[in-house]
Formats: sequence, structure tokens, C-alpha cells
Amino acid sequence: MIDEIFLSQLKQSVDLFLPETILVATFIIALIFDLIYKNSRYLIAVISIIGLVFSGIFLVNQSTSSAAIFSGMLSFDPFGNFFKILILLTTIIIVLMSVFSKELYEGGRKTGEYYILIVGMTFGMFLLAVANNLIIVYLAIETMSISSYILAGYTKEIKRASEASLKYVIFGAVSSGMMIYGISLIYGLTGSLTFDAINSAMISSDISGLTLLIAGLMIIAGIGYKISAVPFHFWTPDVYEGAPITITAYLSVASKAAGFAVLIRFLKVSFFDSTNYANDEIWTLIGTIDWQIVIAILSVLTMTLGNLVALWQTNMKRLLAYSSIAHAGYILMGVVVMTDIGVTSVLIYFFVYMIMNLGAFLVVMIIANKTGNEDIQKYNGIGHKAPFVSACMVIFLISLTGLPPTAGFIGKWAVFTAVLKSEYIWLAVVGVLNSVVSLYYYVKIFRNMYIRNFEDDSEIYEFSPGTYILLIILAVPTLIFGIYFTPLLDWAESSVKIFLGV
Amino acid sequence: MLTDFGIILLFMITGAVFVGIGIFASALIRPSKPTPLKLTTYECGEEAIGSPWIKFNIRFYVVALVFLLFEVEIVFLFPWAVVFKELGWYSFLSMVIFVVILLAGLAYVWAKGDLDWDKPKPYVPKLEDLVITKKD
Repeated sequence: MIDEIFLSQLKQSVDLFLPETILVATFIIALIFDLIYKNSRYLIAVISIIGLVFSGIFLVNQSTSSAAIFSGMLSFDPFGNFFKILILLTTIIIVLMSVFSKELYEGGRKTGEYYILIVGMTFGMFLLAVANNLIIVYLAIETMSISSYILAGYTKEIKRASEASLKYVIFGAVSSGMMIYGISLIYGLTGSLTFDAINSAMISSDISGLTLLIAGLMIIAGIGYKISAVPFHFWTPDVYEGAPITITAYLSVASKAAGFAVLIRFLKVSFFDSTNYANDEIWTLIGTIDWQIVIAILSVLTMTLGNLVALWQTNMKRLLAYSSIAHAGYILMGVVVMTDIGVTSVLIYFFVYMIMNLGAFLVVMIIANKTGNEDIQKYNGIGHKAPFVSACMVIFLISLTGLPPTAGFIGKWAVFTAVLKSEYIWLAVVGVLNSVVSLYYYVKIFRNMYIRNFEDDSEIYEFSPGTYILLIILAVPTLIFGIYFTPLLDWAESSVKIFLGV
Repeated sequence: MLTDFGIILLFMITGAVFVGIGIFASALIRPSKPTPLKLTTYECGEEAIGSPWIKFNIRFYVVALVFLLFEVEIVFLFPWAVVFKELGWYSFLSMVIFVVILLAGLAYVWAKGDLDWDKPKPYVPKLEDLVITKKD
């Protein structure tokens, strides 16, 4: 006999799952259209955009709902919804960027599958943002990774792209192997894979010690690979350099967002006592292992190495790769705090990081469309050849450094405030010192663009109107959120509520 | 908890016994006339001994993936068929959607030509090959 309650729950789950269902439908429809209209250039991109926008509409509608669906496998809550909207916005911008990418369409390459895979990857990241079970986490990471492996090597005739793809696959396989081993250890210790059940097992039977530390570290390694935190960052520069610029930008924002979502959810729901939480937003750790220190060490390593190595880079994509590692370090500072203020700061920083990082990559892409490569040397005199684009680049770089009046300042301000409030003063000091270091390599770029001597200034680069519109779409919020950030703050504050199980 | 793993142990023992009976029974019944060729290890037409660094045809993997797709479909279809009567049209519709998705995948693989086995094209010598032509 079938349980009626179960069936009605299932139906409710399917209803809530609508944005994801739309993505899957888009995936299949695009696949079929790609088979029928083989030679269309932009058709699949248009279909993908339509699907993504529809998905987004339903996503915004369910932004306040909070429920465990599919028998507690996924938990839909404002927190996951924030990350899903962020991922969706990134995807839409990346698809629009890809349409203007010269590198991608070079030699009449068919790009239908490129857009289809982006939609598939979005689906994986959506699942990761709301996953409440370690098996779903693993499944979502694989869904997202397999698409990204192919996308990283999409321009397969270029040797460095194939190399990037292969390196990505190998590192990915190792890290997901580690992760699944960690998952099995957690299951052995607690007898459960759902985050809230792990939590109740930890409260009731006092599980702690070396095995738990190793298991937790292994899972953090698997997620750390996705967010390119430092001991697991080795793939980042090579993959970011080899992959098409659009995919580099995508990996640096969207897959990091999904990784951070699952990291915060996993740590908070599994390892923090939720009973005190309702009263006074204080999170207390369960067990003897101090996960905050673990994340703090990870954060310090990540930002310091990212910033120091970025100083020596001569390729823009590599430089932005190391800069994105450093930013992952700053965001990890917010994760260390592990209070509502900390999570809010992570959300704010991530939104800001999305806008400014995509902007910087967009500028790199449209300049590479003209010059054919991403050497920083090639940026000499760009400020005179393409004044508007360079002005936008300066805005994005100032924002990445974290100086007012740009949005980057608000992100850094939120994170540092959160860290100081929870009395991790040494961490804040390291963060500020790192920001100072980062100033050098960002300024180096616009020094090259404006001050470095160059041969001829007669040539003026012309860009298509579409790229200008896209640039304005990204540059204006970078300035506006630096001055008027209340809506962002409100949205982030209303999105910190993580669903803690039934 | 222990009883759950006990079932797994029982399953493993049953499996071992089952294989053991099979091997023992066939050893009793079969005629034994070994030849060197019969004694080699069978491995899907590949040389069983030698360097493992040989080139496999990549199409093996494509076919294997497509096969896996439909095998998984069967895995989902069996439990569905058991409870189909009780669940009614809702479940029927769900399964139709599921199968259609898989069929879209099959159509994709088919249209992309991944189901055509790449036959080596024999090279038929032409007259030009036999006549020595002067270059330039």
C-alpha cells in the first residue's frame, strides 16, 4: 500500500523543483534543436537564455519558501535561493558574453553543445546549492564537474585547452575520490548521510576525535577543490589559462558560489548546535574539533598564496586566476565567523565578486578578441586605443582591490566587520595586509594600460554595441553598489536563514 | 545495524557458494581436452598478456556508455512496474517523461553518428600510385 502522505510530499517536492525542471527541459529542447538546425550560430544561445530566464522567474517566486523536499535530500531555503539566483545571473551573463567571444566561434566551430553543457552545469550547481545529503552533494559535484571538464577543453584544437581539460579531469577525479572516502567515513561514524541526521548523531553519541577530523578534512578537500582553496588549488592557474575566457570566468564565479554554498551548509547544519540558534544567532560547535580554526588556516593560506603568486604573473588569465584564489580566501574569512553576520558577509561579498570578476573577465575577453592573446605586455597603451573599455577595467580592478567608492569595498567591509565582531583580530590583520599586496598587481595592469610607452596611438579599437551594453550592465552596478548598497544588504540579511531540518 | 551487515555477509557467502557449486559441477561433468588456445585467458578479443599501454578503440567507450544508459533505465523500470498499479497515471506520466529523456539522448547519439562503427577503409590502389609522376 502506498503511503498517501509520502505521495503528497512527493508532489509538493516536484512543484518546488520547478526551476530545476525547467533547466532540464531547456537542456533537452536545446539538444534536439541543435540536432535539427545544425548550422545556426546563435539559436541554441537564445533557447538557453529563454530557459534560464524562465527558471529565474520561478526561482524569484519561491525565494521565501523553506522546506525539505524529496525526503530531506534537498532543502529549499532562502540561503540556497540566494546562491541559485547568483548562479543563474552568472550563467546568463556568461551566455551573453560567449555570443561575442571570437575565440569560441573561430574557424566556424559549432557551439550548440557549448550552451547545452552550460545549462547542464547550471543544473548541477543548483542541486549543490540546496543539497542536504552527502550523496546528493557528490552527485551534484559530478554533474557540475563533468560538464565543466568538457567546457574547459571546448576549443580542443588549441593545445593548452586540451591540456587544461585533462589536468582538470585528473585533479577532479582525485579530489572527488578523497571526498567520497570522507563521506564513507562520516557514514561509518554517524550512520547517516543527511546533514541534520549527522548533527543529531553527533549530539546524542559524542562522536569526535581523529577519524572525524580526517573525514571532515577529506570532504572539505573535495569542496575546497571546487572553490580552489589553497592546498587544493593546483589546477586553477593552468585550467583558467587554457580554458576559453568565458569558461574561465564561469568557473571563477559560479562553481565557486556553489562550492561555498555547500561548504557553509555542510559545516553549519552538521557541526553546529542548532538548539541555541533560535534565541540569539550564536552558533556553538559540537564535538571537540574546532572547525573554525581549520577554515581559518585554509583562509589565511588561500589569500596569502593567491596574492603573493599573482604578483609575478604575466598573463591576464593566470593573474585573474590567482586573484580569484585570493578572493576565495577573503570569502573563507566570512565562513570562519560562522554566525549570521558571517554568512551575510559571505553573501554580500559573493554578489559583489560576481559583478566585478565577470566584468574584469569581460574586458580581458574583448581585448583578446582584438589582440589575440592575454599577455599583460599587450595591454600597453590600450587606455588610448580603447578608452571606454579601459575606464571600465579600472573600475573593475579598483573594485577587486576593495577601494571605495566601488562595490568591492562594500564586500571587504562586510567581511572584515564580521571577522572583527567575532574577535578574530589576527585574521582581519592578515586580510588587510593581503589587500594591500593585491593593490600592486591590480595597479600594474592599469599602469600598463595608461602610462607605459607604446608605439602608435593612431589605431582605435572598435567594439560591437553588444559588448558595450554588457560592459555597462556590469560596470554600473559595480559603482552603484559601492554607494547605495542597502538593497543588497537587505537581500543578504533575509537570505541567511538556513533550513535546519524537520 | 549489525543485522543489516549480516545480510550482506550472508549475500557474499551465498555468492561464493553459488560460484563454487557451479565450478565444481562443471568440473565433474565436462570432458577435459585442453589445447594451448583453449587455455588462454579470454578477454573480448584483446591480447590478454602484454603491455597494457595499447590503443583501445574509443568507440568501445561510447557504446558502453549508451549501453549503460539503457541498463540504468531497466533498473528504474523494474521497481516502478511493481508499484505501477497503485500509483496510477501520475507515475505513468513520470516514467514516460523519463523514457523520453533517454530517447532524446539516444536520438542525439544516433544523429551525431556515434552508433556507426568506424570501419577501416581498405585502400584500393589507383593508377596514379603505380605511375611515377615527376613533381613540379
